[in-house]
Amino acid sequence: MLALEIASQILNSIKRSWSDAAVAVIERERSLVKVWDGEPAVIQRWSTVDSYLRLGIEGRLFIIELATSDPRKIAEEAGRLERIAKKIEPSDLYSPLPSPDVPSMHQSCADRRIAEYLQNPVRLLEEPISEAMSAGGERVSGTLTLEVTNRALATTTGFEGTEDRSSLGLHLRAFKDSSSGHWSFGSSNIDEGALKEVGRKAGEIADLSKKIADFSPGKYDVVLSPMVMGNLANVLAMMSSALASMIGYSFLAKYKPGDEVASEAFSFYDRPRDPSLPGSASFDDEGVETWDKAVIERGKLITLLHNTATASKFGSKSTGNAGWMMPRAWNLEISQGDLKEEELAEELKNGIMVMNNWYTRLQNYVEGQFSTVSRDAALLVRNGEIIGNVGRVRVASSFPRLLSSIEQMTRERNNVWWWEVEIPTRAPFSLIRGVEITRPEV
Amino acid sequence: MGDPFVYEDVFLKLIDRGLKNGASYVEVRLQTDEGSSITMRNGKVLGFSTFGGGGVGIRALVEGGMGFASTNKMDGDSLDKALASAVSAARSASRLKKRKIGLSDERLARASYEAYQKKRLEDLSFEFLTEEGKRVESEVRDSVKRTKLSVFSISFSTHIQEKLILTSDGAHISSKVPRLYASLNFVLEDGGKTMQRWREYSGSGGAELLEEWKIESEVSEEAKRLETVMLFGVSPPKEKLDVVLGQEIVGLAMHESSGHPMEADRILGREAAQAGESFVKPESFGTKIGSPLVTVIEDPTIPGSSGFYLFDDEGVPAKPRYLYKEGYINEPLLNRETAFMLARKSNGSARAMSYAAEPLVRMSNTYLEPGDKSFEELIEDISFGIYMRSYMEWNIDDIRWNQRYVGLESYIIKNGEIGDPVRNPVMEVTTGEFYGKLFAKDKNLKFFPGTCGKGEPHQGVPVWFGGPNVRLIGIGIKSLGD
Repeated sequence: MLALEIASQILNSIKRSWSDAAVAVIERERSLVKVWDGEPAVIQRWSTVDSYLRLGIEGRLFIIELATSDPRKIAEEAGRLERIAKKIEPSDLYSPLPSPDVPSMHQSCADRRIAEYLQNPVRLLEEPISEAMSAGGERVSGTLTLEVTNRALATTTGFEGTEDRSSLGLHLRAFKDSSSGHWSFGSSNIDEGALKEVGRKAGEIADLSKKIADFSPGKYDVVLSPMVMGNLANVLAMMSSALASMIGYSFLAKYKPGDEVASEAFSFYDRPRDPSLPGSASFDDEGVETWDKAVIERGKLITLLHNTATASKFGSKSTGNAGWMMPRAWNLEISQGDLKEEELAEELKNGIMVMNNWYTRLQNYVEGQFSTVSRDAALLVRNGEIIGNVGRVRVASSFPRLLSSIEQMTRERNNVWWWEVEIPTRAPFSLIRGVEITRPEV
Repeated sequence: MGDPFVYEDVFLKLIDRGLKNGASYVEVRLQTDEGSSITMRNGKVLGFSTFGGGGVGIRALVEGGMGFASTNKMDGDSLDKALASAVSAARSASRLKKRKIGLSDERLARASYEAYQKKRLEDLSFEFLTEEGKRVESEVRDSVKRTKLSVFSISFSTHIQEKLILTSDGAHISSKVPRLYASLNFVLEDGGKTMQRWREYSGSGGAELLEEWKIESEVSEEAKRLETVMLFGVSPPKEKLDVVLGQEIVGLAMHESSGHPMEADRILGREAAQAGESFVKPESFGTKIGSPLVTVIEDPTIPGSSGFYLFDDEGVPAKPRYLYKEGYINEPLLNRETAFMLARKSNGSARAMSYAAEPLVRMSNTYLEPGDKSFEELIEDISFGIYMRSYMEWNIDDIRWNQRYVGLESYIIKNGEIGDPVRNPVMEVTTGEFYGKLFAKDKNLKFFPGTCGKGEPHQGVPVWFGGPNVRLIGIGIKSLGD
């Protein structure tokens, strides 16, 4: 049965008991190959259908997530909540579901080739792994994920929507002795050239970082790669959610639209309407049509991300980013600049190029104080030349300080999507002045 | 979970069919995860949510290749397809593998167990939890006198996890583990300065855990202390000195720099592109890691713990593992695949967080063995040092060697006594330095909960980590922003 039929059937079975309700059903077919030293550690396949309900009654708000599409089980759970609903308190975050501007949306953007590769995904890995080895890698690990989904939404306000989507994510980490390079790519369709590029870049960075360079902690001008910018953009996206401001998880809570929160070089977009990125969606979880929008443009805060309820709290309008409780971004994009990648070292002149990172953790979300640890190469540049790899170091800063210190970006951007970048992000290399770089001094 | 007896027969037939189709090993796991949660902000409800359902995860080993398939469509056709999918994925993997996967021979269990609930989680009502959230918020708000409590958010969640695991070599495990979870976040503000604290509570068991935790009094007391640190905290001394780490930081360090680097799949490279590798190599066992006080234990069998289980997801009995023992690298965490590779026996470390997830080598409850001193004895001969009781920011590199903790509630130690509060001291050390300079520990073992992330797709598993208060000697301290 199609997801929309299931969603409508569930909605019909429960709607009389609730003042407003939304039912989403997602059918997924997914394959994943985990690569370990050039061989598949495991090949995994999923075939699932999950149901999600947002139920409102007299200001009370309930959200149900069930790993089933069985209408009987779902009606049973909704009935259980209905019986207790009036005993509990109204939600401070309830707002009636909006009436849809566009009551019906049916989109199909799935790449048929991804569906064909689901049964034999390893064929897509041969060339990227071979590229990584040719470019300097001695061993290669990583993950290829392919997915096709059918997502449907039906609401009591009259919205019915369905969309077929596909996604592909590849990230490879190449090792050469103790040095390594890591690169990733996320897309809605198969792009063999981009997949080969993942292998080539991973191998090249591993090769580039094999020479060790001396390093002392201190303030440096830095270049952050698209992998690092993608990770920081994901944290910034979480903090751009209006709910994050309400519950103490965002430095943006201090600002209002129009305030300067970054350097003029930096713009930051939510891109649900970019069909090439795997997070694209034409409607949000409340049936609001999505649109591309700037969150930060030329350094100025434009808007937080809202669903109907947070918009009502902020005296604003939904930005098409529901999340029933937490508004969320779909795809992210950071603005481009004029630099070419091959000009980065020269433009940096003296500093460090951080090629990948993980474990971005905050001391204080309200202030945006954080540090993050480099993994793979952190390349020391002197007089415009790459001298060698300084090893695992830490970028320690705050979001306001870091964003205000962004000076330049590359024109070319990469579609990053991997373990540490869960929301697909189109990001450039970024040159940032005066950043604290630390590591243990033994 | 429905009636496991209905599924058992179906699964045994699936296993038979898998073996007939060329698999040398088939494992079928039925798993359901159910629960509910309430989220509140500043004493008001934001929303209620529930989750539930489950499905089947099937692993098959064919000629040294591993396949995993999963579905939540529980009709016969869908289960047959999932089996066929796991077998064909394994065969496809096998064709590309020079290093064939094997599984260690084990005495596998046939057992059924359930974590004890004095008061059933199923009976914990949303109304009760709403009142509980209000009570905690109100007590904390009342306790904060000198600053503004600008945000206080809290959530409570229940989680009941049930598993039925059958393998082609005879394991038959049925389990039910209920867990309760609470997390809270608050922000203190004064004159443009802020301080933020996030903390959580978790354990396996029933609603009685709420009474045991005494969240309102513990957090109120802490908020009062944090006010003092925020208002009167001085910059940390920037020099090498003795550092006393509170149990919370010690626990986290045990998890991050003992538990993770001792996961055998990391050591062997299976997680290289995800959670990373390890500074520990297969040849490192038996080599020195720190002072003789360094004994780190990993124990899934602790009753009431978040990481509680008695048999792992491959049917191997759980037991305490001594990761580091008296200063030496001792025993890694092993599943059957990594045990086979290292010519060892599994020590029951395979866990999967949902039906849709492959079992991986995971931690459960990791802690530093306590000593015999009192806290006063631990600090009595420190003429000038620093005590870091809690943290917010922390991280560690991908081989688990370079780690950082930023103290939240911290104090100067002067002439053996706790003195002035200190704001945001930063300790950045290597794992070797941390364990090498571990000079003393007290007897006050305390555990803290966490959700450990690993795997792809990402799997978060509930764990505990803990330890006593410890004294490290000659540690360089920095200030946030240096």
